Amino acid sequence: MSPNALEAIQLSKSYNVDSRQITVLDRVSLTVPIGSFVVIEGKSGSGKSTLLSLLSGLDKPDSGKIRLCGTDITDLSEDELAPFRNRTIGYVFQSFHLVPSLTAFENIAFPAELNRDPQAAVKAKELLHRVDLSKRMNNFPHQLSGGEKQRIAICRALINSPQIIFADEPTGNLDSANGEIIMQLLLELRQELMTTLVLATHSREISSKADAIARLVDGRIATSSEKVNL
Amino acid sequence: MLHLRFILRQIAGSRNQAIIFVFCVALSLLILTALGGFSGSVRRSMLQDARQLHGADITIHSHYPFSEPLLKAIHDYEQQGIVQGALVNEFYSMARNPQSEKSILSDLKVVAKGYPFYGKVRLLSGREFSKVLSKGSIIVDQVLLDRLQAHIGNTLQIGSTLLTIVDVVTLEPDRPVSFFSFGPRIFIAAEDLERLDLIKKGSRIQFKYLLKVHDPALVDRLGEEFSAMTVPPQENVKTFKNADSRIKRFFENFLFFLSLIGMFTLVLAGIGIQTSLYAMLRESDYTIAIMKSVGATNRFITLHFMAMVMVLGTCGTLLGLILSSLLQLYFPTLFASILPANVTLTISWNVVFEGLVLGTIVVALFSFLPLLRIKNFKPAFIFRKEIEKSGGGILHYSAISIIILFFIGLVIWQLEDVKIGLYFILGLCTLIGLTALITEGLMLFMKKNTARSLVLRQSFRGLFRPGNATRAIIITLSASLAVIFSIYLIDHNLRATFIEAYPANLPNAYFLDIQPEQKTEFSTILGREAEFYPIVRARLASINNKPINRTQEREKRGDNMAREFNLTYRDFLLKDEQMLEGENLFGNRINALYSRGEVPVSVLDTVAENGDIKVGDLLIFKVLGLPLTARVTSIRTRTESKVRPFFYFVFQEKSLKDAPQTIFSSVRIDGEQLAIIQNTLAARLPNISVIDIGSTVEILAGMMHKMSSIIQFFTSFSIIAGLLIIISSIFATRMTRIREAVYFKILGAQSSFVVKVFTYENLIIALSSALLANLISHIGSWLVCRQLFNITYQPLLGSTAIMTAGVIVLVITVGLGASVSILRQKPIAYLRNERQD
Ligand SMILES: Nc1ncnc2c1ncn2[C@@H]1O[C@H](COP(=O)(O)OP(=O)(O)O)[C@@H](O)[C@H]1O
Ligand SMILES: [Mg+2]
Repeated sequence: MSPNALEAIQLSKSYNVDSRQITVLDRVSLTVPIGSFVVIEGKSGSGKSTLLSLLSGLDKPDSGKIRLCGTDITDLSEDELAPFRNRTIGYVFQSFHLVPSLTAFENIAFPAELNRDPQAAVKAKELLHRVDLSKRMNNFPHQLSGGEKQRIAICRALINSPQIIFADEPTGNLDSANGEIIMQLLLELRQELMTTLVLATHSREISSKADAIARLVDGRIATSSEKVNL
Repeated sequence: MLHLRFILRQIAGSRNQAIIFVFCVALSLLILTALGGFSGSVRRSMLQDARQLHGADITIHSHYPFSEPLLKAIHDYEQQGIVQGALVNEFYSMARNPQSEKSILSDLKVVAKGYPFYGKVRLLSGREFSKVLSKGSIIVDQVLLDRLQAHIGNTLQIGSTLLTIVDVVTLEPDRPVSFFSFGPRIFIAAEDLERLDLIKKGSRIQFKYLLKVHDPALVDRLGEEFSAMTVPPQENVKTFKNADSRIKRFFENFLFFLSLIGMFTLVLAGIGIQTSLYAMLRESDYTIAIMKSVGATNRFITLHFMAMVMVLGTCGTLLGLILSSLLQLYFPTLFASILPANVTLTISWNVVFEGLVLGTIVVALFSFLPLLRIKNFKPAFIFRKEIEKSGGGILHYSAISIIILFFIGLVIWQLEDVKIGLYFILGLCTLIGLTALITEGLMLFMKKNTARSLVLRQSFRGLFRPGNATRAIIITLSASLAVIFSIYLIDHNLRATFIEAYPANLPNAYFLDIQPEQKTEFSTILGREAEFYPIVRARLASINNKPINRTQEREKRGDNMAREFNLTYRDFLLKDEQMLEGENLFGNRINALYSRGEVPVSVLDTVAENGDIKVGDLLIFKVLGLPLTARVTSIRTRTESKVRPFFYFVFQEKSLKDAPQTIFSSVRIDGEQLAIIQNTLAARLPNISVIDIGSTVEILAGMMHKMSSIIQFFTSFSIIAGLLIIISSIFATRMTRIREAVYFKILGAQSSFVVKVFTYENLIIALSSALLANLISHIGSWLVCRQLFNITYQPLLGSTAIMTAGVIVLVITVGLGASVSILRQKPIAYLRNERQD
């Protein structure tokens, strides 16, 4: 098996706006080794979210190929992708995206239950405990603060022990103190679970913690620097 | 200053809800016009032309030959050319076809020249009635030809004479519907009456003098004049203005019931209006909050939304008008079986106008609460996007009170009866309150529910999405289904009891008008045991010396106490009778009564209740004009209301044995036997009428079925209201549903999972509504069957299951239909637009 969690080759994506074509991604290639932490960096509107959505199979590229954890997902249908996503990928979004009709606990357990995991409840409780939110388990999302919501979202992303986590500006909607806590937590948990993490951000500070950085400029990856792992 | 563009943009912004709103308005208009059109048509064609229905300007009724002074007065006026008269006799008698050896009880109408004074009797041949009917000939119903296997040109034996069939009658102006008749019509010329030899002592023949008054201004005066000359209570004068036929009363009752159903549906449509408007305003929350935060006054905003409601209301009205004119095309098919073919079914402008006014009021009332919400809405909403509990405040509650008061007023106005109006409202409130209560319980259970299956758990959760009108849906659906189910259950239970399983031990043939001297011969012909009941016909003149008020009695919805009663005598209880009050039938002080010139009488509880008669009351009857003073000594009740002969007033033999009387007999005769006996009787004792209860009951059941299908038609409007609320609710929660669907998909659920969650959600709604409807309708129908009709109740489980399944399929189909676009939503497109939780 390939030592890479993710291989993207020559990805292009453009949108039609008022009959004008805007190319957001132009033949972008990217490789993420298993267990590494890769940051996709760029200004707002540079195409980070678009790239993440392609890499994670939420959207389809106009051209190019994506291999995710050994599977070519480029041509998989929505319903073929769903169970794959459930078991292989975890997501953390800038705006949390918790299911409003479910409690914190239920939100976390949900992916595991979809996967018919008999341990769903146990795992969810463990994770809740891990992020210090056991007391809030029966609260609904609108009863939680932004930082709490994001901690729940991280637990949800991790419950099925995914091989790769995609995080799109996870601290973007949080103040700096809360942002820091979230980053810390995300990195710790990733370490514990030995999960690959692909994270989009415009913050240099976060980038500095990454194993590798891909910088998006004008729809292309300008630099791809690699840091030495300590 | 109103910004039209703003209003239009708001409508476009929540177009789904706007459409629902429009449909609900259209629906309420449709109900009002459909009902109004139907009752209007019935009234216009059958009831309004009172003169035609009456057949004359003045009629004088009696069950006996007219008294001399009256006849003389009529003849005098006839000679002066002021009135023109025609004598009509109506009675039942057997008609027998000697060729086919078949006979049938027929509804005879012996008419003199001149009949009918108004309207036309239509004949199959198209010829003029008065030219066709002459001495020795008869004109008959098609049904009679079919049943007797006779043809035009054949002769029939009626009474003791033979008459030739010359034509077939298709329409009688003074009898627009014939389902009240026990037998088919035969028209006979007055010249043949004597030859029939059917007018015997005590037999029930109706004498009717039709009078045409040449100067319309004289009608009332002459009516009063003749009235003064009559022998009360047996002779009775009516003018076409104050007449009240049985048909009319029946239809008034039926239309009355329909208008109840209409009110009910109107309330549900109103709930739909309210639900969709709430949803529309909720979609505009953000806009409203921003407008308020930049300083727009409540007045300003409310005015705009009011204008929006007006625009939509107008659209709904137009749509309603279009739909009602389409419905009109369907009317004839729907009502053909119950109304005669010539009845024109149209919706008049009056009805449309009335509908418009009422519709507007309904829209205004039900829009009020949602609009009130604007006022209480805090601009801080911009910062905290959470669901605020609406309601509270004096205005809120007074708005609700106004709605309730308006409906009470409307109901009373429509029903023209305060007491029944209040009963109806009470019933409606109980129904809705009960459903609301049980729904509340169900919802509590659902909220607590922790189903094993993930899909099921999600579906339960879904029911409580903010903006979901789950409660309103279940209440509306179950209340309307309960009504429809109940009508079905009662209808079918009655059929099951009286038709499909006509009890084997009950008499199925009644013999009327047996003359006492014919009893032996009759028994020989019958050749079996039979029950005999003597009958003396009489009218009740007064209760405790308070005269029976004829006009009042006619208007009463219950039994008419002024009608002619059948008195009987015996000194024992019938098998199905019980004493309710009093130790025995005639009490213990019989001699004391007789010494005062009074006779004891036992009264059946139903008539006692109807006439407010109690033990010890004094009843004065008129038997052939002679008074009979009776003291009520006991009250009886019947243990089961099967088709079994019963008598309101039972006397001692010695009180009645000298009065003119006939004998009534009831027998159980199965199969062909009855036809044979019928035929022999028709040949040998033609004055005896035979009523085949089995087939009569069948006719009644057929009629009942037609009624119930019309009721169900009008009730189905309320189901539409329920479905509209479902659609509105799904649209209202569209964003939440899309969000859920998207999240589920991102987290790895396949689209089938999402479809399942939505389907189960609707399944839960459908099941709860059906369950509730079943519960209420079964309890209600059981009560009606046991308490009102005294028949055993069958739950009709098969039909119940089918109806329940039908509801489920309907709700799920509608629900999925409304969710299609939600299910198609691509996750990525949603995520891009969604910025904040
Ligand atoms: N569905 C779309 N239609 C048109 N333009 C889009 C669409 N999605 C993204 N874009 C454009 O693509 C560019 C990149 O967007 P995005 O990936 O969200 O950037 P980032 O996440 O780096 O801020 C932006 O200019 C955005 O306007
Ligand atoms: Mg982005």
